Amino acid sequence: MRKTKAIAAMAMAASMVVGLAGCGGGSSAYGTSTAAATEAGTAATTADAAASTSTEAAADTSAADGTVSTEDLKVMMETPVESLDPQQATDGTSFEVIADYTDGLMQMDADGQAVNAIAESYETSDDGLTWTFHLRQDAKWSNGTPVTAKDFVFGWQRAVDPDVASEYAYMLSDIGQVKNAQDIIDGKKDKSELGVTAVDDYTLKVELNAPVSYFLSLMYFPTFYPVNEDFFNTCADTFGTSPETTLSDGAFVLDSYEPAATEFHLTKNPDYYDADRVQLAGIDYQVIQDSQQALMSFQNGELDMTLVNGDQVDQVKDDPQFRSVGAGYLWYVSPNMAAVKELANDNIRKALTFAIDRSAITDDVLKDGCTPTYTAVPPQFAAGPDGSDFSADQEMFKDVCDTDPDKALEYWNKGLEELGEDSLELEMVVDADDAPQKVATVLQEQWQTTLPGLTITLKVEPKKQRVQDMQDGNFQLGLTRWGPDYADPMTYLGMWVTDNSNNYGLWSNSDYDDIIAECTTGDLATDAEGRWTKLYDAEKIVMDESVIFPLYTQCNAEMISSKVEGLETHPVALNRVYKNTVKYE
Amino acid sequence: MPERTKKNSVGKASKIVRKYIIKRVLTSIFTLLVILLVLFILMQLMPGSPFNDEKLNDSQRATLYAKYGLDQPVIVQFGRYVKNMLTGDFGVSYNISKNTPISQLLKTRLPISIKIGGAAVAMGALVGLILGLLAALKHDTWVDTICTIISVIGVSVPSYVFALLLSYQFGFRLKIFPMLFDAKRMLASSFLPSVSLSMFTMASIARFTRSEMLEVLDSDYMLLAESKGISGSSLIFRHALRNALIPIITVLAPLIVDLMTGSLVVEKIFAIPGVGSLLVNAIQSNDYNVVISLAFIYSAMYIGIMLVVDILYGVIDPRIRLAKEG
Amino acid sequence: MGKTKTAAATYTPQQPYTPVDSDFVLKHNEGEIAIDTNFASQSFWKDVTTRFFHKKSAVAGLFIVLFLILMAIIGPHVSGYDYSSQNLANKNLAPRIQGIENLGILDGSETMSTTTGTKKTNAYAEKKLYDTFYWFGSDRYGRDIWTRTWTGTRVSLIIAVAATFIDMVIGLSYGLVSGYFGGKTDIIMQRILEVMNGIPRLVIVTLLLLILKPGMLTIIFALMLTEWVGMSRIARAEMLKLKEQEFVLASKTLGAHSFHIIFAEILPNIIGPVITQVMFSIPTAIFTEAFLSFVGLGIPVPQCSLGSLISDGYNSFTTHPYQIVAPIVVMALLMLSFNLIADGLREALDPKMKEM
Repeated sequence: MRKTKAIAAMAMAASMVVGLAGCGGGSSAYGTSTAAATEAGTAATTADAAASTSTEAAADTSAADGTVSTEDLKVMMETPVESLDPQQATDGTSFEVIADYTDGLMQMDADGQAVNAIAESYETSDDGLTWTFHLRQDAKWSNGTPVTAKDFVFGWQRAVDPDVASEYAYMLSDIGQVKNAQDIIDGKKDKSELGVTAVDDYTLKVELNAPVSYFLSLMYFPTFYPVNEDFFNTCADTFGTSPETTLSDGAFVLDSYEPAATEFHLTKNPDYYDADRVQLAGIDYQVIQDSQQALMSFQNGELDMTLVNGDQVDQVKDDPQFRSVGAGYLWYVSPNMAAVKELANDNIRKALTFAIDRSAITDDVLKDGCTPTYTAVPPQFAAGPDGSDFSADQEMFKDVCDTDPDKALEYWNKGLEELGEDSLELEMVVDADDAPQKVATVLQEQWQTTLPGLTITLKVEPKKQRVQDMQDGNFQLGLTRWGPDYADPMTYLGMWVTDNSNNYGLWSNSDYDDIIAECTTGDLATDAEGRWTKLYDAEKIVMDESVIFPLYTQCNAEMISSKVEGLETHPVALNRVYKNTVKYE
Repeated sequence: MPERTKKNSVGKASKIVRKYIIKRVLTSIFTLLVILLVLFILMQLMPGSPFNDEKLNDSQRATLYAKYGLDQPVIVQFGRYVKNMLTGDFGVSYNISKNTPISQLLKTRLPISIKIGGAAVAMGALVGLILGLLAALKHDTWVDTICTIISVIGVSVPSYVFALLLSYQFGFRLKIFPMLFDAKRMLASSFLPSVSLSMFTMASIARFTRSEMLEVLDSDYMLLAESKGISGSSLIFRHALRNALIPIITVLAPLIVDLMTGSLVVEKIFAIPGVGSLLVNAIQSNDYNVVISLAFIYSAMYIGIMLVVDILYGVIDPRIRLAKEG
Repeated sequence: MGKTKTAAATYTPQQPYTPVDSDFVLKHNEGEIAIDTNFASQSFWKDVTTRFFHKKSAVAGLFIVLFLILMAIIGPHVSGYDYSSQNLANKNLAPRIQGIENLGILDGSETMSTTTGTKKTNAYAEKKLYDTFYWFGSDRYGRDIWTRTWTGTRVSLIIAVAATFIDMVIGLSYGLVSGYFGGKTDIIMQRILEVMNGIPRLVIVTLLLLILKPGMLTIIFALMLTEWVGMSRIARAEMLKLKEQEFVLASKTLGAHSFHIIFAEILPNIIGPVITQVMFSIPTAIFTEAFLSFVGLGIPVPQCSLGSLISDGYNSFTTHPYQIVAPIVVMALLMLSFNLIADGLREALDPKMKEM
């Protein structure tokens, strides 16, 4: 999943739905901020901890000079924007920029909760199938026309329009369960039949197939953003390719941009309905692919915020400006159980997963604060009905997923005996990017030294080809990742149902399918508590059968200037939100 | 009478030259078309497709293929592409910047690459020429040794290492030049990248100039020129250098194109929005149209430059000049 | 000798001269009466060798190359570490060499400039690794950079030499055939060449590496595919020069087969420029391989080449600069020495450059 290309951000308030208990959770070495967040532990207190962190930071700066700077915030990005069309965009960089200048029905608050944006209020029907949003009347596009319910209808219809072929169309169908969405995507119905209607200019009615507990949190996802039809028609094919072909109804206005630009700029939107809250004069984005260069630029004051590569962490780990924040991604190894008979053997898979020393990967090699993960659903992004993190307990599946060379060897010998072989050769496909290659190098060594007779070869290739290989079933082991699209464990568990296109190992278990179906559209869809317990059951099946070997949850190491405060970061949907950010002199 | 014969022969020569140029241009165009076809076939061989994303299902992929006409046979696609290209339409990007026309992508990037590459070539050629000349004139002295050492270092160290060292020293430590490219400070911010790119050119040119000059200085016609009483700077610049320039230009031409393809690492380091990095990103994300357009533009530049060189050759080559002056 | 001097001093013209022993001793004036190498009847190759060895820089280059080849062969076996085994506990250790460490250099300490100030550390001491020595330091996985550097040198050399050799074979045959037959054959072959040459190298190489399975053979193949053009040009030019000469005509009249004329008659005569070109191609191949590694299309991990070592160390330049130093120095030395040899050869082979 390519959504958020490893861009995440700075964290004063390092928190998401469940407060992000700091990415450096397990390791104590990464600076004061993570330590502060780790102490917080639970959701309730994380917000406080985060708040206190920001106050500390504020104290540092205001001691120097408390006046708000009129300068732009200079932000480093790793990859250029791929598309500014909210329905076409798929990567985190694009989402972040689109959200800078566009408001949807809802927006993310510091904790990642959905709060009103263009919607002033909303109500749901008792069966949870109908949502009615009342839009605020003072919201305007930057060309002066008011933002109306029709804009949302147009945007949503584009998202499922087969001609647009939006990659994120499934946000409306599978995930949002919007009525008729799937049929329209499949070309069976016209897009006008989508279950979203403009009752009047300021009332939007949405009909669903099944109640969706996290529906509100989808509303801040850019795929659900409004597009003004008249304006869109004037741009036709060039929509979203220049400042002239974008419209803003958000906190900032895009005022310099070219496709795939390495430098672009947004200015504060004076006509924003909530303009008083926005304190930044503008945002100056700079795409820098070389992290070393980025850090030097940061040190020279050319940037206010930058990502730090694990190789440079040693240089900055004692710096109070250094932070590590959650990026949400779960990295895991997917064994191809359907095509490789050795990997169909449960003992071999167990041996492989027990042989992985996850904390060595995160602490010694990646060093950017990533946390070792032993669950199929990564920690720190999905909060249950009681507000606790779904995967807070990383020892839940200790009996089937842990670091234990002895046990690995035991499983290994048993597995080899069952297969009647005394050595194995396996190939792992890996993306040709920095982090995956590092991880694969260590994995290869760990596997080969722990399991005698095992030879691992690595096939390093560009991501598109790695994905194609995995989709075609043309792989043995695959190092891959998945980022959450919404704050619910289903964003992960939904992957392993029979015939899901991301179920690379072609694993199939009817019990599992039943649980997932029950929790998505069945009886449990409205029973939050019951659903939660069932989801654990589902996860247990995945872990028991070692369908995947979870490795770690990604974090991004970052430097943020002590002059900057209130930069909100989230592992889901929008990585960085600048509405409450202040830059001091 | 001699006047007329001279005129005549000039007329004849220019006719031959014109015919030669026309022939060269036509073959070049033909070559370019073949290159385009080869590129198309290479694209087909590439594993993966522009639409290999986890979240696209098969039917969506099919829709996208149909939308961009990728489901048709290569030859049909080729025909359509050539037809569109003649009208200046290079197609749209599939990935790097979704649905953006390539021409728009290149509009800003190509000039930047050409400027930086051009500056690097100019700088490298000039410094290289001076170093090579000095080395040749002061053959076997300490000047020669120093020039040789400089030029050997230039060819021995990759440009990205220079880029790293330069940006660390002059950008980060001394803060003389900006570390990142900034369109508003074009001149200052393209200095370091140009210098790091120019090192290889500089070194190659210095080496070639040195050996060519040595050869020319040893030649019989230099002896003749000397014995005719031509001396000093005139001897060196009018006679020796001019002759040494021919092979130097032939070496320089492909270097210019190489510089623009080879600049991508340097572009990455200095965050330059040029075409080198675009090409690599495009190849890795199977953005067919971008790859084909860029590769084609490079080929066109290369073949164009070779064409110019061939013609220049005629202008500089004394044998042709001699023939003309009759 | 003293006696001779006295004898000479006492000599007077009136007396008839009586030869003394010293008159029949060699004068040791080789400097003055050097054999005229230009016209002496020596074999061509002996001539070339003499001239080559007269050029100090070329000899130095040759020695460096031989030394590096030797190190590439034995280097990986002497430090006691394996090039691929990791030891995360010993990661990022600075260079430390027995004996030399007592001088206060290469003792495993490093100075790191952090954003909060510089600090000097000695990780060996901190980790109590008193008997551990990494001569060139260790990398981020705790692998020995010494072993990796020489393994990488070996890989780079193999790739470069193999690619260049295949280049030579293909380029030579192509150029010779094209030049010999001329006419339509030549035109068609030259058009093909122009197409090959017209497509940017980077595009062909990267596409090939994507299409084929990554590995040493693929890289050799990709390099070969793009580098033979230069060789074929030279071969063709030489062929055009030679094919009208008497000895070729003689062969033809005697009924020799084209194949025989091309490869048995002409080829030996152009071996000089070919070797020079080969020497120039090797560093180019090393460079290209390094570049491919840098773009992420190099040799697959955990194998290494000089290029991949440089690109690995690149990101640690500001943190642990020693990780990039060794591979860069070795690569620069390789490039340098091959260039020096090539220069020397060119001068030795090219009659015009003879010292008159």
